[in-house]
Amino acid sequence: MLGIGVQSNNIILDSCPIEGFKMLKQAGFHCCDFSLNSYLPNSRLYDLELNDFFAQSVEELEKFFAPHKKAAKDTGICINQMHMPYPNYVPNAPKEFNDCLLENVAVKSLKICAFFECPYIVVHAFKLARHLGSEEAEWKKTEEFLDALAPMAKEMGITICVENIYTNMGNRILEGPCCDARKAIDRIDRMNEKYGAEVLGFCFDTGHANLVGIDFEDFIVTLGNRLKVLHIHDNDGIGDLHQIPFTFTRNRENMSSTDWGGFIRGLRRIKFNKVLSFETAPVLMAFPKNMRQDVLMFLAKIGEFWLDELCSSGLKS
Amino acid sequence: MMLDLSMFYTEYMLENYGNKVSWEDVRECGEQLDRFIAQCVESGIIFEIIRMPHLKWDTKRTDLNELILKIGNNALRHCSKLGCKALIVQPLFSGIGKQNEWIENCNYFWEWGRVAQEYNICILLENQCGNINGHLVRGVCADVNVVTDWIDMLNSRGENEVFGFCLDTGAANLCGQDMGEMAVALGDRLKAVLIRECDGVHEARRMPFTGMDIQGKNIDWASLIRGLRKIDFNAHLIFDVQDTLMGFSPLLREKMYTVAKSVADFFSWQVTLEQNIKKSVSRVLFGAGKMCWNYMRCYGGQYPPMFISDNNEKLWGTQCHGVEVKPPYSLKALPKDCVVIICNTFYQEIAEQLKEMGITNITAFNDEYLPYLTE
Repeated sequence: MLGIGVQSNNIILDSCPIEGFKMLKQAGFHCCDFSLNSYLPNSRLYDLELNDFFAQSVEELEKFFAPHKKAAKDTGICINQMHMPYPNYVPNAPKEFNDCLLENVAVKSLKICAFFECPYIVVHAFKLARHLGSEEAEWKKTEEFLDALAPMAKEMGITICVENIYTNMGNRILEGPCCDARKAIDRIDRMNEKYGAEVLGFCFDTGHANLVGIDFEDFIVTLGNRLKVLHIHDNDGIGDLHQIPFTFTRNRENMSSTDWGGFIRGLRRIKFNKVLSFETAPVLMAFPKNMRQDVLMFLAKIGEFWLDELCSSGLKS
Repeated sequence: MMLDLSMFYTEYMLENYGNKVSWEDVRECGEQLDRFIAQCVESGIIFEIIRMPHLKWDTKRTDLNELILKIGNNALRHCSKLGCKALIVQPLFSGIGKQNEWIENCNYFWEWGRVAQEYNICILLENQCGNINGHLVRGVCADVNVVTDWIDMLNSRGENEVFGFCLDTGAANLCGQDMGEMAVALGDRLKAVLIRECDGVHEARRMPFTGMDIQGKNIDWASLIRGLRKIDFNAHLIFDVQDTLMGFSPLLREKMYTVAKSVADFFSWQVTLEQNIKKSVSRVLFGAGKMCWNYMRCYGGQYPPMFISDNNEKLWGTQCHGVEVKPPYSLKALPKDCVVIICNTFYQEIAEQLKEMGITNITAFNDEYLPYLTE
């Protein structure tokens, strides 16, 4: 079904999840991208710091998230996708550290995903091209990681979605893993054939694509029905800002410098019928707290506008 | 050297052709070019590549194909005189919808190819940026998966392989593309690399290594060099450093030419580093330090040395990655086809030492851009 969603980070608070879900409902959202990654921040992982959140047993974690699940249900918000903590592998970290990221964090993330009855979980492929010398070698390592999770994902009916991400050279942004749609579809098809189930899909991140000048329409059309999940956000083409679509302009005509037209054309062409999900948590921090509801409503309005665009091409929710 | 026809047929001229610029103006530029080429021929200057004038990436002009072809025909006449082997041609992009890109370019390039065959030169397509309201993104020929198909299809239509590719590092960098992976995908279709530095956001034609930011990073040259090594690249490296040169006072500019030449030599050396290792029948490493260790780690399995030599007598008799370290006098007994690979940054000093010993088959290794960091 077509729907509108937004990530839970900065909205759904552990202290009172129902409040956040009510805000989403009131704003006009149907779905929520649950930010599981916010429980194990990536900056800490790169410093080889693992907090003890995922050291809890699955039962403890389920107990912890039970109010969130109930709140979502009570408000009629569907948790359609979630984001696994990342990175899932830190180069040069001790073996035990990376083993823990797989065996503890990734495996428990899948179990939490199943607990929420969420069909899609987004993962970041490993950023190892510079270390290993090629993108092929980098993917091989990611595939080993995915292979470790795939049987479990199949059993739980979850599709793991790899996302187009970037890498940095100082302040410069460079394409990172999963930025080649042709390679991605080959790999997804191969893996799904191997497991006889849709264990692997794709999450198209508009902001990351914009940073490395990817042609949205081409990329989406190439992915076709392998595209399961979206991370919609905007930036200036320079930094990963996770801002509201249509925010950025680069010339005096003040037209959007992000190819939103290509984005919708691409979705139309593949008859995308899933959730238009915004990954815009920083927006909520940028605006005053009292304006958060208004900001959410504005985001939902953009989602509705696009839903209309998609529906007018013959897709009905 | 590459002759850039934008020197004669400027962006301004193309953008204003038919308005402020007349056909007479264009013809006058052609005459200037003819005179310039005559002077070059007289002075024995060779241009191995000519680059056709470029339309701006945000141009609104869609009516200039015929003009560009006319300019190209004039350029092609000069190719044999200049010793030119290739012509870089900007693909069509302005006013062309995505779905028509191939068909329009196919017809356009086939026209080029037909003429190029007569003159026995190669036509090189080039990666472009698109422009979304001021944001430079991947344009025509930026996707190497697509461009390899294009080149193969164009080449399959003729008797000779007339078409190849020129990778513009500036355009690739503006779109955050991994140039090493691009080079690998292109393989031997890659006939030239236009090397220029920019900040990744704005267009520029700076000298490599001059775009360092506060975090100590510039373009990912390591990836490009790795990629070019993987495909045994031995074609043209073209350096476009005009913005760096123009930034300096004319009084200082001459000194910059020396720096630019050193940078070009450095690239050429780095790109051919593995080819130099491969082509030797047997080899000995000189220097048993970290660079030697890196050689052994990355190349020791495939291209093992007979032994390692070092001036430090404390190392004699020890082993590095299972290979014995011997004193320099051991080198005197080397067969002639054995190359001594210097694994130490004191290249000149060591090369002189070796030459004094009568050894001339020498090459230099460097571990700045290794094929991988970890296994």
